[in-house]
Amino acid sequence: MSRIHVTTSVNGDEVDFLCEPDETLLDALRNRLGLTGSKEGCGTGDCGACSVTLDGRLVCSCLVLAAEAEGREIATIEGMAEGEALHPLQKKFIEHAALQCGVCTPGILVATKALLEKNPDPSETEVRYWLAGNLCRCTGYDKIIRAVMDAAAELRRA
Amino acid sequence: MALDKQTTAKREFKVVGTRPLRPDGVDKVTGKALYGADLTAPGMLVGKILRSPHPHARIRSIDTSAAEAAPGVKAVITHADFTLPDDEDMRDILVNCMAFNKALYDGHAVAAVAAISEAAAKAALKLIKVDYEVLPHVTDVDEAMKPDAPVIERGRQAETVGEGFSENVTSYCEFGHGDIEAGFTRADHVIERSFKTEATHQGYIEPHACLATFTTDGKADLWCCTQGQYMVRRVCSAIMDMEASQLRVTPSEIGGGFGGKTTVFIEPVALMLAKKSGRPVKIVMSRSDVLRASGPTCSSSMDVRIGMTKDGRITAGHAKLRYQGGAFPCGTVEMGAMAAFAAYDLEAVRTQGWNAMTNRPKQAAYRAPGAPMAIYAVESVVDELCQHLGLDPLDVRLKNAAKAGTKASYGVTFTDIGLSACLAAAKAHPHYAAPLGPGQGRGVSCGFWFNFGGDTCVTLNVNMDGTVSVTEGNPDIGGSRASIGMMAAEELGVPFDKVRTQVVDTASLGYNEVTDGSRVTFAVGLATIKAAQAAKAEMCRRAAMIWGIDAEAVTWEDGCAKPSGPNAGDFPPMTLAEIAAVSSQTGGPIAGHHEVNADGAGVSFGVHLVDVEVDPETGATKVLRYTVFQDAGKAVHPDYVEGQMQGGAVQGIGWALNEEYIYGEDGRLQNAGFLDYRVPVASDLPMIDTVILEIPNPGHPYGVRGVGETSIVPPLAAIANAVSRAAGVRLTELPMSPPRILAALDAARPKAAAE
Amino acid sequence: MYAFDYARPASLAEAIEAMKDEDAKALAGGQTLIPTLKQRLASPTTLVDLNGIAEIKGICLKDGMVAIGAGTRHAEVADSADVQRLIPALAHLAAHIGDPQVRNRGTLGGSLANNDPSACYPAAVLGLGATVHTSAGRAIAADDYFQGMFETALGEGELITSVDFPVPEKAAYMKFVQPASRFALTGVFVAKFLGAVRVAVTGASESGVFRWPEAEKALSANFSAGALDGVALGADGMIGDLHGTPEYRAHLAGVMARRAVTAAG
Repeated sequence: MSRIHVTTSVNGDEVDFLCEPDETLLDALRNRLGLTGSKEGCGTGDCGACSVTLDGRLVCSCLVLAAEAEGREIATIEGMAEGEALHPLQKKFIEHAALQCGVCTPGILVATKALLEKNPDPSETEVRYWLAGNLCRCTGYDKIIRAVMDAAAELRRA
Repeated sequence: MALDKQTTAKREFKVVGTRPLRPDGVDKVTGKALYGADLTAPGMLVGKILRSPHPHARIRSIDTSAAEAAPGVKAVITHADFTLPDDEDMRDILVNCMAFNKALYDGHAVAAVAAISEAAAKAALKLIKVDYEVLPHVTDVDEAMKPDAPVIERGRQAETVGEGFSENVTSYCEFGHGDIEAGFTRADHVIERSFKTEATHQGYIEPHACLATFTTDGKADLWCCTQGQYMVRRVCSAIMDMEASQLRVTPSEIGGGFGGKTTVFIEPVALMLAKKSGRPVKIVMSRSDVLRASGPTCSSSMDVRIGMTKDGRITAGHAKLRYQGGAFPCGTVEMGAMAAFAAYDLEAVRTQGWNAMTNRPKQAAYRAPGAPMAIYAVESVVDELCQHLGLDPLDVRLKNAAKAGTKASYGVTFTDIGLSACLAAAKAHPHYAAPLGPGQGRGVSCGFWFNFGGDTCVTLNVNMDGTVSVTEGNPDIGGSRASIGMMAAEELGVPFDKVRTQVVDTASLGYNEVTDGSRVTFAVGLATIKAAQAAKAEMCRRAAMIWGIDAEAVTWEDGCAKPSGPNAGDFPPMTLAEIAAVSSQTGGPIAGHHEVNADGAGVSFGVHLVDVEVDPETGATKVLRYTVFQDAGKAVHPDYVEGQMQGGAVQGIGWALNEEYIYGEDGRLQNAGFLDYRVPVASDLPMIDTVILEIPNPGHPYGVRGVGETSIVPPLAAIANAVSRAAGVRLTELPMSPPRILAALDAARPKAAAE
Repeated sequence: MYAFDYARPASLAEAIEAMKDEDAKALAGGQTLIPTLKQRLASPTTLVDLNGIAEIKGICLKDGMVAIGAGTRHAEVADSADVQRLIPALAHLAAHIGDPQVRNRGTLGGSLANNDPSACYPAAVLGLGATVHTSAGRAIAADDYFQGMFETALGEGELITSVDFPVPEKAAYMKFVQPASRFALTGVFVAKFLGAVRVAVTGASESGVFRWPEAEKALSANFSAGALDGVALGADGMIGDLHGTPEYRAHLAGVMARRAVTAAG
């Protein structure tokens, strides 16, 4: 079971690492690249806390093998802000108090960014269904939905 | 103890009641915030725990020799590495973390390894041979109470339990006053119903995680996600037989707790592995481990009997509550028995509670522990009486509502409380008047929680640049850094952004109780205000020194020291920053601190209104509209007060409709994952509207009451009442999953046809 | 996970070669396989990642049918203008599998090869009478493909390459979701073709997806929800688990069938 050398792009930076064949992308991000913003809440793709995008598509990184990242483009929460400038979604989440404990927040932000890139003007129902794979246990989702709708409106104006 | 009445006049606030951005927001939206599993240490090992596949088994022997010899393994431990503490509570916590002579539930830890990699640790677990003698098991509360039930542990029964029960029944309690039989005689109608609720889990998204290091001279460091670092230190130092000062516990950011992180599960194991291996050890629970072997709620079986006159006056109430809290004695039923009728002003009321041990994990607190089920049963019967007598459910609750002066069923006499105000606000709200469509129903329920204060200490340092550092000891679980900083800013008269609040490790501050009981904004807030007052007094003294007048002649106003009147002298006010800048010349650094066992938390009431639609063909329920009314005393940061109200309501919705622990005939948990243990997702829910009421708590300088827990209490009955009205049949078992609702509808159909 | 080797063939020919190892397992979207590996319920020696094979991806029209490559992800089927125009029921089904994260990874071929008794795609394949093409050059009719819970007509190492879906006059899929996974607790796919109606039920039977002849007969005579009055499934052989009894599932099949007919219009 030889280790695999993977070269990939994470948040626009070319990186490489050695991984075991059975290692998940989430484990590689957290343990090999030190990107601990993506969280493991279940390890079975049910909570969405490990959400990242793979070639622009939203996935649970706990259900992707690290080896599958070869030659792909990965985006994580760590790449969402541009330097000191927060993404409008990040700003709106703070403004709307759309987080309490904050552990689901990275996954939800990555997921909603992917939604708004696909659908810049979602209805409340579309946001709710899009986020059906991201569990939040603190907020009851109310303020999250408001933050996403507000950020979408702001991004449309921009 | 007489209450130190803190609130005198209604005051105008400058910071409290506004909605500033939370100070930890940027860290949490950028992925920088460090949670339990996010820290690593040089030379760190991976700790893994072997768990019992049996719900009840004697452990004849454990052979760890092959595991110890396996490549990469640095330590293997079992119960033999620990010594049982004398204290019974500590002993139970340790035995829950590591089984001694018996495995008591599916998932009970029996051994652990530390190895150089996850793969090596997992491989080593497979090499541990445990010789089990499987014993009969019991997981249902009613079954566990029967005299012939398999006994979990002998010798744990209190004398008060009486005859006729299994030894599993560990305790009995009763509360109440008045002659209930006379009360039932006076009633025009009496309804008695039996209810069952299943255990639920707090469902925090972050699994338990910790990183332990142990040095050869007996000092240890522990990083973990917990609701209380001081609790972790107290418990772990007792279990590890070390002095508290030698163990420093640093709380990580916490990814949800809701009560489930008010005890320890893996921390003593990590410490022992670190001690034995001489290397740092990290343990992270899997989701399946969390569901099988952390602390879910009690499940319950309850009988409630209530009598009512035709005009809606409750004449008597009687509740019998039977809870199971897992394989150890558990006092949660007592809180249920105290809370059951708390919303009512009754002449005759009696509540009785029994706790039974079962082959399930040791229950842990979950938001208002014990209250949701008891109040669900009571509020369901009240609702059914309203239906039977043709009365408006809010009018009936207003008529019977507890108020200042009411002697509660659990013995206290209430002071200023907000129940009637919540009920009146609900009655006046457009939601209550909105029309309902076919298949829809509206439910109402009251909720209650005691709220706690407890041991708290805060240090507040005034920095020389005019900023303020507040040091507190309670993990920020839902925005408390903001609310604590706001109260410091309010009291000092400085802008919020001049204050930074830090949650610190156990070496940096005195004992603080865990973040529970809705205590933090109340008790830490109280201590912060008092610490700020101490700092203000010191700053007044410094100003007096500079001005050459008596300290008594200086007052603090709008962030400045001022002469207290024309006789004190004519000096321009000195700001906090001006006083701080010269503090080195006036006696040194300026600080305030306060240590208190905070009393007067002030009980909390809420009322929930919900509309649902029941699909008569499938039994599925859709929540259409939800409004929460709750008394916050004074909402320090209204966003996070609303957040508590919304989050609790949705957890209650999950409890009412979806969530349950399902044990098979084999005593194993059938749904140990988020795929089968179902918490509400965004697409299940409407917006959760909130109405904050502010009836000041006389026990807090700003009138603050805790708001974290009451909100999970009403949804169970509110939804059950709405579903029962929509379906035309009374539901008495939670969760009201679609098959259960359909079965109730089917059972009612021939009866309806025959009538 | 047990240790395994990882192979990423670039062509179908390479994949066929890699699958000759009898303990090899194909990795498509991984949404079921990776959790299964994590639970150590499978122990392949080699995992053959099919995601690099362009020739089994994509959607095209072929002889009046919609041909979908096995490696096509649920989200791609849901978003395909051709599928939306020709078989909207199939696009709708794909758009409601799991959550966005699952739909962005899971593939048609992966779902069919696994043949989970509660999966949605088998209902569409059977309900539309689709044809499953494989790496062995076989074209397997849907009626022959599904052979029981997690059982299919695929041979050892045989991979699905594409599926041809006939275009119905009208069709609809209705499912009652298992609330946690959004798998079908019971789902019914109803399709009306010239002269025939096909009804496929998933999520309900211990034998996996199945056709419901009584419902097909009633609907062939009269394509309306009312035609199903009195047509009911027995509970024998239905799945009983923590989410519902056999009786509940049998009942749901009737409810979902009527709703699907109504939705098909």
